[in-house]
Amino acid sequence: MRTSSNLWWLLLAAIVAGPAQASLRIFACEPEWAALARELMPEATIDVATTARQDPHFVQARPSLIAKVRQADLAVCTGAELEIGWLPALLIKANNSALTPAGQGLFYAADQVEKLDVMAHVDRSMGDVHAGGNPHIHLSPERVLLVADALALRLQQLAPAESAAIASRLADFRQRWLAAMQRWQQQGQPLQGMRLVAYHSSYRYLFDWLKIEQVGDLEPKPGLPPTSGHLASLLAQLKSQPPQAIVHTPYQEAQAAEWLSEQLQVPALMLPYTVDEDKVVDLFALYDQLLTALGPLAANHAAG
Amino acid sequence: MRFALAVLPLAVASSLAQANPVSNLNISGILNGGYTVRDSEPESIGGYPLSGHGGALPEGFWLDHTELALSANVDDLFYGKLTTVLESHDGETEVELEEAFIQTLSLPGGLGVRAGRFLAEVGYLNSKHAHTDYFADRPLPAQAFLGGHYFDDGVRLNWVAPTDLYLELGAEAFAGTHFPAASGERVGATNLFANLGGDIGDSQSWQTSLSWLQADADPDHCTADAHDHGHEEEHEGDYEGEEGHDEAHEHGVDICGFKGDRDLLVAAAVWKWAPGGNFKYQSLTLQGEFYRQEESGEMAHDDHFHPWQQTSYGGYLSAAWQFSPQWTVGARGSYVEPGDGYGDDKATAYDAMIQYNHSHFSTVRLQYTREERDIGLTDDVLTLQYVMSLGDHSAHQF
Repeated sequence: MRTSSNLWWLLLAAIVAGPAQASLRIFACEPEWAALARELMPEATIDVATTARQDPHFVQARPSLIAKVRQADLAVCTGAELEIGWLPALLIKANNSALTPAGQGLFYAADQVEKLDVMAHVDRSMGDVHAGGNPHIHLSPERVLLVADALALRLQQLAPAESAAIASRLADFRQRWLAAMQRWQQQGQPLQGMRLVAYHSSYRYLFDWLKIEQVGDLEPKPGLPPTSGHLASLLAQLKSQPPQAIVHTPYQEAQAAEWLSEQLQVPALMLPYTVDEDKVVDLFALYDQLLTALGPLAANHAAG
Repeated sequence: MRFALAVLPLAVASSLAQANPVSNLNISGILNGGYTVRDSEPESIGGYPLSGHGGALPEGFWLDHTELALSANVDDLFYGKLTTVLESHDGETEVELEEAFIQTLSLPGGLGVRAGRFLAEVGYLNSKHAHTDYFADRPLPAQAFLGGHYFDDGVRLNWVAPTDLYLELGAEAFAGTHFPAASGERVGATNLFANLGGDIGDSQSWQTSLSWLQADADPDHCTADAHDHGHEEEHEGDYEGEEGHDEAHEHGVDICGFKGDRDLLVAAAVWKWAPGGNFKYQSLTLQGEFYRQEESGEMAHDDHFHPWQQTSYGGYLSAAWQFSPQWTVGARGSYVEPGDGYGDDKATAYDAMIQYNHSHFSTVRLQYTREERDIGLTDDVLTLQYVMSLGDHSAHQF
């Protein structure tokens, strides 16, 4: 239903397309949104603020980023407070009238979807919890699709001349994504009910989709680094029923995961977290690699 | 973890309910306090005031720069921010309005206008809030030439170039009511600045700044509080401190006696590095600023003015090495060399600090400072400080 109404909008936008315009310059806060923008508008100039090796919570509002925000027609970011420590500083310093709350130039992916772990009550003693819910939404394939729909619409508003092209690329992306989702779902079937320990809630949405249970967090509280005391209590808690593996992202230190993995005699895995230049070339490759990495754990899971 | 698991079902349930529309008003409080052990409390370096807001750390318990800030987009065209600062010294607590400005959001062509009271874009540190510094106090030249930090009532126009290399040019005009200005003119201080910056690969970022502050000084409007002559009674018991104070007086002249133009040139550079640009685990920050201040005009002396031409210099270099997510060590050296008319009172300070950040919102810092003055004073200063933030997470500038 949502799909068909969106397609109607796209068609309508395509019909009332305005005069030809130079291609857009897009500022993507994270590589996943740069990849999505590239699917919909490959000819756009796309700057990415972070790499797969940088924790998106801890980015410097550095001069090069101000210069990029200054020149952008559109900023595509996660929102939900993920970039709260740096994006507001970039926006206020860049003097770019296109990227104001009133303009069309600010696009927050997390605003397009329903988020998990939205808190009715947030207290800092709980750690660095985002009241608006978990922001790592690109690891939910269903949500990626919703973001793609909304982003396509926004791109059409900003570049009416490209409307038809964007519509057809969205249709193409949807088709390939839905097919891939079926494949990933099948690959993920044996993983259902698997128990994993992770670092932070970075994979919250993936685990939710694949029905994997996160039985432990290497962080004592969100945003706080692992401590020996916390790891000891994790070990005590998990000894009788160890998880299938301990996972972390490329931007999180492996030390804690490796220590616990040795103690529990289960593998520690560094999973891809986002699109990573030539290693993880696009969103399809991201999920392919995630499921390939998790796949071998299914055998242990079945055996256990 | 057990806690997180307990919260999980509750969180999922509440996610079904529509999230409340979040108010756009950001409210943040900074609690900053400490305890300092030192032999003497210097009032000035060669006449430049060191006391008051942003000055030298006082002996004993102190609460400096405890601040409360409100900020929000006013509407689609304007952003506004209000910051009040509590400072207490000599047993008195004062509330000071440090920022009360509006900023345009939608001017074309990379232009921006800020109006009201705000921190001047002088060098690198001045426009930043002290609680984001790596050290408990500002480096000596910032204390001597800018009274810790210079903010005033005025207007700023700035422009960001549409280039991949970051270039910002700006001009500011101020009432000139705060030190280093002391003006009765309509526009008592002007400042021109340029910032240039970029990245080197994924791991390194840099910025350089050049600024030129021209301030008008008039003894009738001077607010610099270093030479409060009623001061001697207050510090009667403090023998060592008093001795230093008197000695400074013998050589120094009254900063408020100056009538003329005070020009301050500041060149600044900062370089930050983190492995792969990931600032969570390790990072290194190097920064330095060089100050050149020229006073030309007249100096009051025994009921008359005599011609006065002085050039004073200052600078600092600092390094901060975050070696784990929660621990940072730093070192800094700073100096001020007042012009000849102020006597031979070159001052240097060497600082070492270690800080622990439990979370993104709490810092506890231990700082040791060795202060050396050409007038013969040396002091070992030890400070234990906390900086904690309440409420909204404010984004940090580079």
